Amino acid sequence: MQNSILMLFLVLAALSALVFTFVFISSKKAGMSVQGLSNPLRKRFWFLLILFVVLGIFASVTIPRSPYFLFADENPSRVVHVAAMQFAFIMSEKAIDPKSPVGEASIELPANELVEFRVTSLDVNHGFAIYDQSNRLIAQTQAMPGYVNRLRWKFKEPGKYTILCLEFCGMAHQVMRSSFTVK
Amino acid sequence: MESIKLRKITSLWILIVLVLFIVNIVLGILMRLNQGEIIHQSPITFYANMTTHGLTQIGIWFVAGMAAVNYLLQRYVKTSYSANVVAMVLTVIGILMLWASTYIGKFHAGWTFLYPLPLKIMWAKWATPMFLGSILVMGVGWLTWSVSMMTQLLKKYPLTRALAWQHFKKNPSTQTPPFILISMITLIGIIACLLGAVLLLAMYSAEYFSNGTFVNDALLMKNLTFFFGHTIANEMLYLGLAVIYELFPEVGGRPKWKTTWYVALAWNCTLVFILTAFFHHLYMDFVQPVGFQIVGQIASYMASLPAASVTIFSVLVAVYRTPIKWSLTNLLFFIGVAGWVIGGLGAVIDVTITNNFVLHNTLWVPAHFHTYNALGNVLFSLAFFHWFFNPIYQGHP
Repeated sequence: MQNSILMLFLVLAALSALVFTFVFISSKKAGMSVQGLSNPLRKRFWFLLILFVVLGIFASVTIPRSPYFLFADENPSRVVHVAAMQFAFIMSEKAIDPKSPVGEASIELPANELVEFRVTSLDVNHGFAIYDQSNRLIAQTQAMPGYVNRLRWKFKEPGKYTILCLEFCGMAHQVMRSSFTVK
Repeated sequence: MESIKLRKITSLWILIVLVLFIVNIVLGILMRLNQGEIIHQSPITFYANMTTHGLTQIGIWFVAGMAAVNYLLQRYVKTSYSANVVAMVLTVIGILMLWASTYIGKFHAGWTFLYPLPLKIMWAKWATPMFLGSILVMGVGWLTWSVSMMTQLLKKYPLTRALAWQHFKKNPSTQTPPFILISMITLIGIIACLLGAVLLLAMYSAEYFSNGTFVNDALLMKNLTFFFGHTIANEMLYLGLAVIYELFPEVGGRPKWKTTWYVALAWNCTLVFILTAFFHHLYMDFVQPVGFQIVGQIASYMASLPAASVTIFSVLVAVYRTPIKWSLTNLLFFIGVAGWVIGGLGAVIDVTITNNFVLHNTLWVPAHFHTYNALGNVLFSLAFFHWFFNPIYQGHP
């Protein structure tokens, strides 16, 4: 996913740089006479229409795939409660009591089954970002005090997954991490 | 006399911006050296630098845009010198308070100072009120300045004319200069987001002074934070665009640009999109109503349409096969527009919710922001500075 996003960006950025360079050179070559662009209003209209249609297609294809709608019709086979706090994640398959939060030493989840993470925070805002074994970010949500964000995901590959905090939360934010295993 | 005073204060603004810019670049380099493990700073020093760098940078390029718009606005209306001075004094005091809170008090809640982190004291106790006070002081200064400019504008241009609504009719009897239209649209956005900041700070103080009896709602506070933070960061770029509309044709020896129906429509739409795009900062808060998330993506997409089809297209049309008197001023404007486009592409990719799912709060975010700011907005302001100090253009405004 990240690679294709980067490629898309690089191609579009290179195209834009080419257009600006081309237009600049055309001005330097123009001499004394204004040749300009013929029918600019018409061309502007077409440019706008194409952009509108492209963005419309992007929006209609991507919005239904937003994480809020992921696996919405299915029932999760496992639920993991996550309570984030400065500077650790507490995870348990049982509900966590905020007054005496206790988690499980290790979490094992099944591959190819729907897992729901119920993520909250006991102090400040944190991030709950899941990285696969090649350190690629695959899914995330925020941990916010007073709220529970439900993140649903199916893990295809067995192995160890790392969790990192992706919302700056204080002086030890960089060491706030945890993990679980998918079998 | 008035114009000499304005010239002097604008020069002082430019000096302050450039000095703080250099200091801020040093802070940025130190952070990157630390991340690359070439130097070793304590996490607290690193995060204090991060907090200072982010807020100072937003602050200085915002005031750079405001100072430029104020200077050029004098061509059309009489602006208030006192409001300009008040803004400068409060900005300097605010920056000093900010730096005192981060470097003496070790406050390090990040440039987003996301609730409730500033209230979880991990630094000198006085640093939190000092930090929030610094935002208040700067906010009051900027609010005074923007309200004063808007009042002066409205004295000459009634609201509907300042917003160029007469251009929606055939053969409008009066013209609204594009600079007036864009300044008005931008000032409305700035005042709206600064009022959001006032509310945010009021809610912080209510909790701070309640001794634990009152607790804010984290989701509401996050919405308010980004309504303020995102919008002001975005508006500073639009201040730069107002300057481009005014100076780009003039410096290139071309006729002044005029407002047409589509320019008026584009900028009026921009006002709506700019005030609703901030929702994209909350995509990963799944408890936020889904309608707001979708509005975030659509408003962010739509904001790019008038920008691309009116401003960027107009700059390209103005240059294409047209003899222009190129100077450093309009070259910086032109490269700045290209940098804005490239940074903007990174932004449009990231505001797509499915992409944001794997990009949110990663290095992509500072990368796109630095591209459009450093290669776009900063170049717009540097272009203005060059124009301002260039003897060829003296005599303006």
